[in-house]
Amino acid sequence: MKIKRSLSILLVVMMLITVVAGCSKNDAGNSTDGKVTLTFGLWDKYQEPIMRELADMYEAKNENIKIDIQLTPYGQYWTKLETAATGEVLPDIFWINGPNIVKYAANDMLVPLDELVESNNIDLSVYPEGLIDLYTVEGKLYGIPKDWDLTALWYNKKLFDEKGVEYPNENWTWDDMVEAARKLTDKEKGIYGIASRPDTQEGIYDTIPQAGGYIISEDRKTSGYDTKEALEGTKIWIDLLEEGLSPTLEEQADTNAIELFKGEKVAMVYAASWNVPVFMENEIIKDHIDLTVMPLIKERAATIHGLSNAIAANSKHKDEAWDFVKFLGSKEANEVWAKSGAVIPAHKEVLDIWESSYPDINLKAFVDELDYAVMYPVSMNTSKWNDVETEYIKQMWNRGITVEEGLKKIAELMNEALTKEQ
Amino acid sequence: MKANTDIKNNQNNKALKASGKRKLNDLFWGYLLILPTVLGLAVFYIAAFFQNLYYSFTNLGAFGKYKWVGMENYINVFSDPKVPQALINTVKFTVISVPISIIISLFIATLLNSKIKGLSLYRTLYFLPAVTMPAAIAMMWKWLYNGQYGLLNQLLAKVGIEGQAWIADPKFAMGALIVVGIWSSLGMKIIYFLAGLQGIPKAYYEAATIDGAGPIRQFFSITLPSLTPTIFFVMITSLIGALQMFDLIFLMISKTSLAVDSTMSIVYLFYKYAFEFQEKGYASAISIVLFMIILVITAIQLKLQKKWVNY
Amino acid sequence: MKEISSNKKRMQINKIIIHLLLILGAIITIIPFVWMILTSFKTLGESTIIPPTIFPKQMQWENYKEAMRTLPYGKFYFNTIVYTMLTTIGQIVFCSMAGYAFARIDFKGKNFIFVLILSVLMVPGQIFLIPQFMIMKKLGLLNSITALVLPGLFSAYGTFLMRQFYMGIPKELEEAARLDGCNHFTIFWKIMTPLVKPGIAALAITACLYCWNSLMWPLIVNTSIDKMTLSAGLSTLSGQHGTNFPVAMAGTVLAVWPMIVLFAIFQKHFVEGMASTGSKS
Repeated sequence: MKIKRSLSILLVVMMLITVVAGCSKNDAGNSTDGKVTLTFGLWDKYQEPIMRELADMYEAKNENIKIDIQLTPYGQYWTKLETAATGEVLPDIFWINGPNIVKYAANDMLVPLDELVESNNIDLSVYPEGLIDLYTVEGKLYGIPKDWDLTALWYNKKLFDEKGVEYPNENWTWDDMVEAARKLTDKEKGIYGIASRPDTQEGIYDTIPQAGGYIISEDRKTSGYDTKEALEGTKIWIDLLEEGLSPTLEEQADTNAIELFKGEKVAMVYAASWNVPVFMENEIIKDHIDLTVMPLIKERAATIHGLSNAIAANSKHKDEAWDFVKFLGSKEANEVWAKSGAVIPAHKEVLDIWESSYPDINLKAFVDELDYAVMYPVSMNTSKWNDVETEYIKQMWNRGITVEEGLKKIAELMNEALTKEQ
Repeated sequence: MKANTDIKNNQNNKALKASGKRKLNDLFWGYLLILPTVLGLAVFYIAAFFQNLYYSFTNLGAFGKYKWVGMENYINVFSDPKVPQALINTVKFTVISVPISIIISLFIATLLNSKIKGLSLYRTLYFLPAVTMPAAIAMMWKWLYNGQYGLLNQLLAKVGIEGQAWIADPKFAMGALIVVGIWSSLGMKIIYFLAGLQGIPKAYYEAATIDGAGPIRQFFSITLPSLTPTIFFVMITSLIGALQMFDLIFLMISKTSLAVDSTMSIVYLFYKYAFEFQEKGYASAISIVLFMIILVITAIQLKLQKKWVNY
Repeated sequence: MKEISSNKKRMQINKIIIHLLLILGAIITIIPFVWMILTSFKTLGESTIIPPTIFPKQMQWENYKEAMRTLPYGKFYFNTIVYTMLTTIGQIVFCSMAGYAFARIDFKGKNFIFVLILSVLMVPGQIFLIPQFMIMKKLGLLNSITALVLPGLFSAYGTFLMRQFYMGIPKELEEAARLDGCNHFTIFWKIMTPLVKPGIAALAITACLYCWNSLMWPLIVNTSIDKMTLSAGLSTLSGQHGTNFPVAMAGTVLAVWPMIVLFAIFQKHFVEGMASTGSKS
């Protein structure tokens, strides 16, 4: 008994020692065989295989480079990145998005790319202008665009046919859409014409600029929510709710507009381009849906967002990292993205390949919207006022407060947050 | 070996000297046995705790940069309207879920401690929620609660009750979360109680049976008093756990839901400020306020335990 | 004779009542599990139709293949087992030592240290993330199993739990041992610890669950997916714009079953010898 016990203790101690000794040497970074390992941080499980493919392509051409892809789910990505940044061990290259770019760039966490772009003769005009603007902070560029997304008007042809309504087209105005929604709404069947979404990028971020307004001023110092245009761009959504053409906020609470569209409970929906695979892999709707550009309000506009590849300021291999980022921005690499159909590649010259990834639907609508795309609104501490937006959008959509009150409140609190940033 | 002879000597020596030596001996063994834990906790937790206390007086933002701001954060905590709201929600959750879950799990544990067939199957079934990841629990319950598709509303419809959007409606959301909170914590509590029940000497029951005490009297006169150290542990830890509830809201209530305000807990608020808004200094102050509240409650419990816990 | 038979009858009725109560409770407990398993066999479309189908129209084993294909479950299991074993053993050893000292030895500063340890439980766990990460970085341990395991070896919760169990042991035992000339270590190791075996079992389960459920720490100290634990790896299934529920549920089922099997085996072991304590009536 005693021997058995001592043995088991010994075993435990040995195991602990082995693990402590054995695993601590696993430090990634410079390998012994002269290869440089570049770490690459991203968050999307479904894009990871494509990223791996690109990394393999690059590794084949550059034998001294090894690319180590680090996947962290979106829910934990920013916390992890921030922890890594505090410890100065950010991945050499990583995905960054609009809401976080200013924070990382202004805190000197990223390598400015302008000089590198210039000395390498990179043509930035192949990328959407709105994206280059988005990733330019205080006059310096901090990321090479990887992909972009825009919102379009999606519709269910079956529901249109049932009511004998003509399909939406690129010349539609907002009023045309409302008119169609009236005909499509069928209370008895529980079907609504359109979903009025309490959303930003798939909602007011588009309609406010379309009404001639803006969300944040160009110097990122003042809110645009207290303008007449913002009121118009928001009110039109609330009108849809008031007329009963859209599911109420409560009805969208458990099952959001995207789910309702997939379940054929709404005939039209404003949905961003990341929904393309979501919709097209849904057996119920994939054969009878299509899309077109968002209807005209006063002017054409669409808020563009996209991801960039950024290089960490703490990287020990900045030159190698830049070379890989350059490769990822090339037409060749963008072609791989285009063929995958997973996202809309940033490089303009490969868009036709992407358009044909689902030949049955009018993906060209997204490309058409590029012509009038406007920058996604961000600032230093974007999430602070994003929270304000969410809070009051919810209340306006629930019609607990009027649109006027809601927007005034957003503008007030957003301006307060923006002043604090200075 | 040395300690052994020490004790032997003690018995022969004068009482005073003996007690002095014993004290020294106790001191030595006490510190030796707690050394690894204290050292480990000090390095990985207690140091961070004091660092957090320090940060609560700074404007710590993203990436570890900060300036000293004195009491400003604390003044803000007490003027922030979100704090009392979150406090009320947290207290509501705690006050309802803790007693109910303790009573239910104690009851089930007692049943599971009886001599019937199929015990191992029952125990495994009741253990199931404990092994499920919070994310999976949230996913399942979101399904069940779903206003349109949910099984709960389906069942209610069968008996003619109109369903609700349980976790989307501010009126019901907290109740719905409490149910999940109780449900998911039962498994572990039952295990603690089962473990505690085994420490009760059989002789107590044998004696009671001879005295003619029935099962219910035995429960109140033997089981319950003997189980008080375990009940005390479960009570303190579940109070602390409930006052720190976070996972459930984070996973079950979507940010665009109307029910956010009526379910927002203190730790959720802390999380939002620390990791979303990059106001870590302020978040630290919130966490210190919460710490004070829990400390006071625990201190009261520790004092009161002498009245009812039998060691 | 008659009295005995009526007594037996009463016991029989008692047993039936106990069974009924337990079955009712068990049903309520397992409904979400059953739902999870059923959903894991549905197509994405079927999982969202109104009204929901209870049984899948066709068993979609595809979901399991998909979940297996997208994630390296084998590695996840391995990492989780190593992580869990080391943590559990560490906690059992350290927590019972400290728990014994806090419960049964009188020494100066004990109460203060104990409250200090408890205070670790009273702040949100998230505050420890960044400081712990910085320590690991300074030690050069990032991206290692050591870093994953180290902070979890010490547990304030476990120390408290073990203290309570050591507290519950009658004083007479200790006094008798002291008179026999045992030192603290012998009392602790030979006399007391065998008596708190149920407590140790409960601690072991708690430690296992802690490892099983921890998400943020594995994701933060590890950078490669090959070093992820189960729940951390599983979390990568949820995307930025919505989650494929049936596949995620399939992934969850795959992740949870070993734990359930383990418990089913061990629960017998850890409740052995107690079966009759409660109802010797």
